[in-house]
Amino acid sequence: MGKQFEITNNVRKLRFFNDEMTQQQLAEKAEVSRQTIIAIEGGKYSPSLELAFRIAHAFGVQINDVFDYRVTEK
Amino acid sequence: MSYQIAKTITNILSGTGVLVVYLFYVSNRYQAGLLAMDELQSWSQIMLIFIGIGIAVAILVQIIFHILFSIGMAVNQSIKNGNCNDQDLEKTIKMEMVEDEMGKLIELKSMRVSYITVGIGFVASLALLFFDYSAFIALNVLFASFYTGGILDGFTQLYYYKRGV
Repeated sequence: MGKQFEITNNVRKLRFFNDEMTQQQLAEKAEVSRQTIIAIEGGKYSPSLELAFRIAHAFGVQINDVFDYRVTEK
Repeated sequence: MSYQIAKTITNILSGTGVLVVYLFYVSNRYQAGLLAMDELQSWSQIMLIFIGIGIAVAILVQIIFHILFSIGMAVNQSIKNGNCNDQDLEKTIKMEMVEDEMGKLIELKSMRVSYITVGIGFVASLALLFFDYSAFIALNVLFASFYTGGILDGFTQLYYYKRGV
């Protein structure tokens, strides 16, 4: 029995509730490329703590409203 | 297609192009009897010339790519907004071309693949010399490993951009 760690995010949902903010607009606010936003949204890349804060700041919410950390038993 | 992926594909194509031209040129000259296996001075001269050509082609292709990419962005903006504002366009291009943490991480990982390829090429060329193959073969294996490393670097970047890091 091992533990599995997973980081999920609500970026897509938060973009939708922020006047349907585009990935490009979020990328501009977080000062990263659109490619990075696409990867984060798709769960293909876990951002650094700094970037996670920048994304949360772009939405005006707390970091745990954007990212969630789950531990599941395998 | 994002800027990073388009740029990587362009790099792969230019690297492959130079390697193919080199192989074509060398095999033609060799078959025509203009180059002998033991003429190391001529081989090194050709390789030096092709290293120069490789650098020049890479710079030229990047310039052309960035011009075409900027034109593409301008056309895209004109279609979207009905007009093309220079300041907005500059801002959009800057944002597309930004190098962030994910790009740097992918670059590091792909560079590792590139170093490993060159390392394998170097060891292979030494092994060839050890097993009494001619220096011309060892030199060409080493030369090809540098270009192959560059090409694999590009493919690794594409893989990580598609699959994630």
